[in-house]
Amino acid sequence: MIEVRDLKKSFGSVVAVDGVSFVAKGGAITGLLGPNGAGKTTTIRMIGTLVGIDSGSVVVNGLNVATEADAVRRTSGLLTDARGLYTRMTARENIRYYADLRGIDAAKSDATIARYVSLLDMQDILDRRTEGFSQGEKMKVAIVRTLVHEPSHVILDEPTNGLDVMTTRALRELVKRLKDEGRTVMFSSHIMQEVAALCDEIIIISRGRVTAQGSTDELLAMSGKTSLEDAFVCLAEMENAPARVSLLPKEVA
Amino acid sequence: MNVLNFKTIFTVLKKELRDHLRDRRTALMIFVSSIAVGPLVLIGMSYFISSIEEKAEKKEVFVLNIMHAPQLANFFARQDFTIKEPKPDFRALIGQGKHDAVLVVPDDFSEKFVTGRADVELVYDDTRQDASAQSIGIIRRLMTGFNREVSTQRLLAHGVSTSLLRAVEVQDTNLGTPAQRAAMLLFIIPWLALIVGITGCMAVAIDMTAGERERGSLEPLLMNPIARPSLILGKWLAVACYGMGIVLLLLAGFAATLTFFPLPKIASVVSLSPAQYFGFAVMLLPFAPAIGALQMLIATFGRSFKEAQTYVSYLYTVVSFIPVIAMFTQLKDATWQLFVPMLGQMMVLTRILRGEHLEAMHFLIPLSVCVAMTAVAIAALTHLMAKEKIIFGRS
Repeated sequence: MIEVRDLKKSFGSVVAVDGVSFVAKGGAITGLLGPNGAGKTTTIRMIGTLVGIDSGSVVVNGLNVATEADAVRRTSGLLTDARGLYTRMTARENIRYYADLRGIDAAKSDATIARYVSLLDMQDILDRRTEGFSQGEKMKVAIVRTLVHEPSHVILDEPTNGLDVMTTRALRELVKRLKDEGRTVMFSSHIMQEVAALCDEIIIISRGRVTAQGSTDELLAMSGKTSLEDAFVCLAEMENAPARVSLLPKEVA
Repeated sequence: MNVLNFKTIFTVLKKELRDHLRDRRTALMIFVSSIAVGPLVLIGMSYFISSIEEKAEKKEVFVLNIMHAPQLANFFARQDFTIKEPKPDFRALIGQGKHDAVLVVPDDFSEKFVTGRADVELVYDDTRQDASAQSIGIIRRLMTGFNREVSTQRLLAHGVSTSLLRAVEVQDTNLGTPAQRAAMLLFIIPWLALIVGITGCMAVAIDMTAGERERGSLEPLLMNPIARPSLILGKWLAVACYGMGIVLLLLAGFAATLTFFPLPKIASVVSLSPAQYFGFAVMLLPFAPAIGALQMLIATFGRSFKEAQTYVSYLYTVVSFIPVIAMFTQLKDATWQLFVPMLGQMMVLTRILRGEHLEAMHFLIPLSVCVAMTAVAIAALTHLMAKEKIIFGRS
């Protein structure tokens, strides 16, 4: 479970995240939906311990991100848009490097790699140097690298950006599988349809604030629209989150 | 979590070494050039020195229209000099550095000579250090000798004692040439050894820092539960391995050349004993990693490899010019120089080459400076790598 309470972050005079609160339940996929520049990535980076928190708190799996960053890093896997690979190393070497850094023994990491490689159908590229990999191939390597320590909490920031249909579909299958294995999955996107197809719970963020939260049907009902796109636009432009108390922490409600 | 986790350090070191050794082009360029520098410099120097000596031994002067000046022809012949006719386009050739200086005798030389108003023209290009530099000196010396002889004769003819002409009799004992030749070598060998160490680890230092930023691999790397000092140390050790490997190859190149090539001209100036090689290694080995740490620190400010290259080249320029400035200002050896990176190394390396006495401080001070430089750079780098501006700021 990931609990975010009244999270705030500014870069200089720019307020990136302005009091975001939500809960991402275990064994579920929570979607973070919002237009570009809404504060999704910053929120995710704070959850992933990469960015310091100005105020508020993030608790991942019972661990406070601010004070137990290393423990959080051990149990969570974060994939942001920085998915750089070492091009002179093979896909397998890239993944193993992270496994080694995390102190996972070779036999165990090999087994994990083998499992994800068959899930993502990447046997052909595993022992090739990553130089010249396509976007989709790079993405697959980066995601296995993120999951090599079998994190209980998986956070993916716009993972389908720039991917073709085949890779996107493979990725969706993987995300569903992670959920079925009981992990907490967070998934950000600016594409409503994608989030709707995948997520149990959707949090709409706009201008650094949560403007709506609920399942697809609830969001449609809330906005009074029939199409997902219209609902998204309507909810993203709302100033304050409408009351939907069941999952929201008290302060926000 | 331990700040220094040896397993992490080793994992990073292993990855960086493997990764960069696979960059065949860069690795080959670095290693081949570091092996080749020694032989190339020594052989080049040897050739240069012999060509100077050859010219001095040749005793030739180029004179145009010598038939108008029989007096000069006679004097040159008595000095054992052969007079040679310059090539028709000698003026252009001198400008290109392909012709020795030429003495041009005007048509009316003999008539004016009688009245004591004769002149000759000396054609040379003093911006050229090669062909004409040596020959200008020779012609000037010959003309001075000729003038002295003629004036002495003329004064004698007027009944003036020649001893009045010279207040002090100067006798030439030329020690300058071999000493200067040595000085040049004594500057170039240590300077190159230091420079090669600096350039050698540059590409690796940049790729490990700015390269990680540009690639977008720094952010996921820092998501691993590892202590930043361990990460930085692992990277720095890889740079250090590169730098020290290059220095050792360079010394091996020097040693192989001096041992296996017959270079008598060089051997008379530089011959290194095992102890001197050891001294070189002791001075050079800590220097390359220290500069490497500094390069890593500076390169981290670059969002891309290219940007970082610009920043690091500033450092490179400053460091490589320090000894040159010292040479031109004729800085005399002093203890304070030992505290200045590059200057201290140059001073001690030159003294090793000259076979001069060295004390413990000559090694300990530069070594301590290198250690301090490394420690400060690594600490600053660790601090920098935690900055959000660095982790996320990509081009």
